[in-house]
Amino acid sequence: MSDFRGRGLSALRAKIAALEADGRADAGVQPFGAPELDQRLPGGGLPLGRWHEVVGTGLEVETSAAPAAFAALAAAPLARRGEAVWVMRRDDLWAPGLAGLGFPPERLIQVLARDEAEALSVMEDALATVGVAAVFGEVEAVDLTAGRRLQLACEKRGATGFVLRRRPFGGTARAEAAGSVAATRWRVASAPSEPAAGELGLGAPRWRVELERCRGGRPGAWILEASEAYSWEAGDVAHPLRLVADLGDRELAPAQPATRRAA
Amino acid sequence: MEGALGPQGALPAQAALTSPLALVETVRQVRRLAAVSPEAARLGLHADQKATDAMALVPGLALADAEPAADAAALTALVDWCVRFSPAVAADAPDGLFLDISGVAHLWGGEAELVRDFRTRLARAGLPFRLAVADTPGAAWALAHYGRDGTIAPPGGQAELLRPLPPAALRLSSEAAAQIERLGFRRLEQLMAIPRAPLGRRFGAATLDRLDQALGRSAEALAFRRPPTPWVARLAFVEPISAPEDMARVTADVAAKLCARLEAEGRGARRFEVAFHRVDGKALPLGIGLSLAGRDAARITRLFQPKLETVDPGFGIESVTLCAYGVEAVGGRQARIDDAGLAAAVEDGLAPLVDRLANRLGPERVWRAVPVESHVPELSAGRAAPLAADPAPAAPWNREAPRPVRLFRRPEPLEKVLALTPDDPPRQFQWRGRTHQVRRAEGPERIGEEWWKAPIEDVAVGHVRDYYRVEDEAGARFWLFRAGLYGDPEVPPKWWLHGLFG
Repeated sequence: MSDFRGRGLSALRAKIAALEADGRADAGVQPFGAPELDQRLPGGGLPLGRWHEVVGTGLEVETSAAPAAFAALAAAPLARRGEAVWVMRRDDLWAPGLAGLGFPPERLIQVLARDEAEALSVMEDALATVGVAAVFGEVEAVDLTAGRRLQLACEKRGATGFVLRRRPFGGTARAEAAGSVAATRWRVASAPSEPAAGELGLGAPRWRVELERCRGGRPGAWILEASEAYSWEAGDVAHPLRLVADLGDRELAPAQPATRRAA
Repeated sequence: MEGALGPQGALPAQAALTSPLALVETVRQVRRLAAVSPEAARLGLHADQKATDAMALVPGLALADAEPAADAAALTALVDWCVRFSPAVAADAPDGLFLDISGVAHLWGGEAELVRDFRTRLARAGLPFRLAVADTPGAAWALAHYGRDGTIAPPGGQAELLRPLPPAALRLSSEAAAQIERLGFRRLEQLMAIPRAPLGRRFGAATLDRLDQALGRSAEALAFRRPPTPWVARLAFVEPISAPEDMARVTADVAAKLCARLEAEGRGARRFEVAFHRVDGKALPLGIGLSLAGRDAARITRLFQPKLETVDPGFGIESVTLCAYGVEAVGGRQARIDDAGLAAAVEDGLAPLVDRLANRLGPERVWRAVPVESHVPELSAGRAAPLAADPAPAAPWNREAPRPVRLFRRPEPLEKVLALTPDDPPRQFQWRGRTHQVRRAEGPERIGEEWWKAPIEDVAVGHVRDYYRVEDEAGARFWLFRAGLYGDPEVPPKWWLHGLFG
């Protein structure tokens, strides 16, 4: 790509972004602090003032532990700026676990909704509130209308939404919506941890994070690690997520042989 | 000033009960009369008489079962209705109520006017009643039950009016009253004449207390149906209203009235209760709570708005009252000029959000987790109101202990658990029908029961859990524990999954 063409392209992108923003000020981005990841996202970081979709794999569709951990860590820098609200339908989110990963539970208001529609409307209400920086919602599916409403609520005050796609009580899946207005979609799964050489037990928690869709960015896959997890320094770092490996389009490396299991 | 009301007594003339009627209740397998109508009383029947005797005396007697629960419900409804006169109403089971009319009589133009209005409305409802007004609840009760109906004792003048009443007017137990009468004390003035010490020695402290309470020498605490609050606003309408938009409008008006008072005194309240008084005498209360004490009438009205739909106006609503509870001093704040760029104050965004959610979903569905000093995992995270007054918790979160993000409310049993030695973490386990090979493990972390909280006989060495953090071959991290100890013949150890790290 020639330099001229590149410049023309970025100018065009800025123009489109301005049109999409409809005259509103850009809420900015939250960089992960890893260039390999940030350069794939529009503006060099997780777009704020938008909502993001986080999906689990396999059984995690019901338990949604890895997506919750990833979303909390991605939003941890936001929770320092304002309040966070977590809307759920099944109250199994446990604050000590969030604290250990580096998310401040004292900034989190938890809301237990009775059904899916209520969860979405509470999310919308919280997103449009002054002083709320991040809103997490555990819902099964977001259709186009609900997604558009969430987006409008995000734009009101620049709050960032995280939709954890979860079927909290199991059951059969609903038909997938044809499209989505989410800014990004992440697929998160636990990845084997690597303890430091000579140490027993488990290493820092790791996740295989796949950026499946991204408006104005490029998809990719990475292994991320919670830095300083389960220590008193948890939450004191600039960003609690650290890039371990860039998977690109390659397959995940095979799991370590069982002989390396710590006793 | 207290008003006491006792509905027993002479029925008004319009009561169309021509045949004698009595209510019966069964006491120790004997059916006895619980209450008799005036016609039946005139024929010589009285309460506590055996039903068979009464039937023999008056063959045409109509009998019906007494319903104490329904009576209590009716009394509660009457108490709620009386809130239209004063917020402080106390039920006096089984058939009376106290109305504290201190400081509200002027709204009707004096006690006599208030009593007249009260009588008119009660009579219209067809209720037989007797009422009296006096300085103390005891005196009002005595005058209502044994004095002239409708007596209004002048301030400080109740002793004079109490003199000719029988000792039973002191709200004594029937045995105590009978005992006093048996000794020749037929009127209260005789009791009043005795020195206190012998009176207390002879008839007991209860009699002395009741006498003191009636005469105002000692205070009496009434159990009001609603906690008394001086923060009440009331609006009465010329014509009954029933349209939903009218109800929203009057809610806003009455809120504005009360909030203006709150603002003038620099106060705010945490709970507001609006009551719609219907033409047919029912009162329909609605309540909302605020996370921070407030006095913004528009906000309060908005919180009431969705609940107004549940109010059935019936034939119309003739008055509305709004009470404020949990009133506390609230500092004034300048209205924002425009500080969109500055950090938002809690009062602007968060407090209204929490109020909206708590009033819509219920306060138990909105919370903030707080650390609790307990080693038992499921007890170590408590719930607090999202905007509690003290945001700094007593102890910080323990960030060092590895704890899962998802904790199951009930641990899930694990099957086919393979462990090499008793103290080893499992090598393999099955959860929800899927087998997991353990690749790495950490533990055990032994968590014992909180023996200091349980009775000593329930404490056992075997009540321990050994927690392990394990990772399977796919990287999923689990928090599982073994309950019980190996070698305990009564309770063999069992494996459970308690949480997921993700």
